[in-house]
Amino acid sequence: MFFLQYVIRRTFQNMMGNLFSNLITIGIIAISMLIFSTFTLLAFNLTNFLKIWEDKIEVIAYLKRGTPSSEVEPLLKKTRLLEGVETVRYVSPYDAMGFMETKLGGQKNLLEGIQPAVLPPSFEIQMKKDYRNSTKIKEVVAHLKEIPQFEEIQYGQEWVETFSVLVHILRLTQWILGGLLLIAVVFITSNTLQLTISSRREEIEVMHWVGTSPSFIRIPFYLEGLIQGFLGGGLAILFLFLLHQGLFLYIPPSMQAWLAKIPVLFLPLETIAWILLGGMVLGFFGSFVASMRVLKYK
Amino acid sequence: MNEAMIEMHHVFKTYPSQISALSDITLEILPGEFAFIVGPSGSGKSTLLRILFCAERPTSGEVVVHGIHITQPDFKKIYQLRRTMGIVSQDFKLLRDRTVNENVAFALEITGHIREEAKSKASEILRRVGLEEREGDSILALSAGEQQRVAIARALVNSPPLLLADEPTGNLDARMTLDVMEIFTDLHQKGTTIVFATQFTGLIKRYSYRAIRLLDGRKADSHKVEEVKATG
Repeated sequence: MFFLQYVIRRTFQNMMGNLFSNLITIGIIAISMLIFSTFTLLAFNLTNFLKIWEDKIEVIAYLKRGTPSSEVEPLLKKTRLLEGVETVRYVSPYDAMGFMETKLGGQKNLLEGIQPAVLPPSFEIQMKKDYRNSTKIKEVVAHLKEIPQFEEIQYGQEWVETFSVLVHILRLTQWILGGLLLIAVVFITSNTLQLTISSRREEIEVMHWVGTSPSFIRIPFYLEGLIQGFLGGGLAILFLFLLHQGLFLYIPPSMQAWLAKIPVLFLPLETIAWILLGGMVLGFFGSFVASMRVLKYK
Repeated sequence: MNEAMIEMHHVFKTYPSQISALSDITLEILPGEFAFIVGPSGSGKSTLLRILFCAERPTSGEVVVHGIHITQPDFKKIYQLRRTMGIVSQDFKLLRDRTVNENVAFALEITGHIREEAKSKASEILRRVGLEEREGDSILALSAGEQQRVAIARALVNSPPLLLADEPTGNLDARMTLDVMEIFTDLHQKGTTIVFATQFTGLIKRYSYRAIRLLDGRKADSHKVEEVKATG
């Protein structure tokens, strides 16, 4: 109990005694964590968007013109048996025409004179949940291509692939940047704590002389690093939240309608907890490095 | 026969710059003894004391304090050894932003005593060194002699059986020196072992304690004693 009281009091005194350098460190940690968190938020939303998109992905297999209707039913059965296929719906040329008319609405007169027979019959294939990603879809498409009655297979392949690459690049940038920021944060925290330690040099020397245990000397500095990391991480989350909220205020109304279909989410609680924990670990590590350098028992 | 409080066997200390600070020092100090380490500036007195309180390691040789072999490579608990000794230096090493009582109580607080208990024990020890009237004063308001008495009080507050003093009168005038020496003599009479490093041979002439003479890092009994006196 006494030890805990001492550690808390000493940590608070250390921080208040070097308020300016502490605020600077917390600010720098906050900026570094904000950069990292922004990339995390972007990657999180793009991944989420990709998931929504992938969920909606369906494969359309166009049948060769002139495929006898007697072959449609066995072909449907064969397609349904393919691994990864959830549902298959046959779309006749008439269904296709009906769909186009619905889509065109008031302008359906554009279709006047066009015979449904010009539209190819097709299968709309819904994938099982686990297969709704570009790698798995490709596997199913490869099987579909082996079926001779199909003339063309379509799916949002290029979009999905480009988007996947974008998400991967973003995640890679996030971690490379995260690594660099990690080194910077450790360096900064360690240097500020060295300042704190040197401002208390005489006191620490007396502590060494009277036989204070090393942990008694070091723990307040470790705690200071942890608090700096926590406050830095907390500020980063707060700024990011404000940015996230502000984003909606300044989005033009035309874009808001479009965005309404794509939810721009904030980081989940679990990720926020990880960011705070990450900040604390960095702060602790910085203080650990500092204490290893300058708190040797003399 | 009493087991020695301090034993040094063939201790050498050479700094990386090849400066030899101590050379083949062998000595024994018994419990309750008052021993002067005397020699001119640069003779190795401070290095010898720093080795005794583990601020430095000798290049070779063996040192035993309180029966603990402090030169063994596996000896790591320096802080535990330091709790059995008080250290006083020429530059006092007091915390200038605290009062007299707080400086002394600090030594207790950081070794696990609760604040109130530390303050009351600090008051008691300050009475012993004649500073009961100055307890609440800032360190900056004290004379050099009074500051040294605070440093001695801090070294004594944990009741160590051994007191290492490195030129404790180095910054004091003759009158203050005598005041401080009176405290050390009193402590010695109460059973504390004292190792007192000084370059003033006047002190060793005045007090009839054993004097271990150092010259150029060697025990002066390997040199002429007059040589030491001439430099002192």
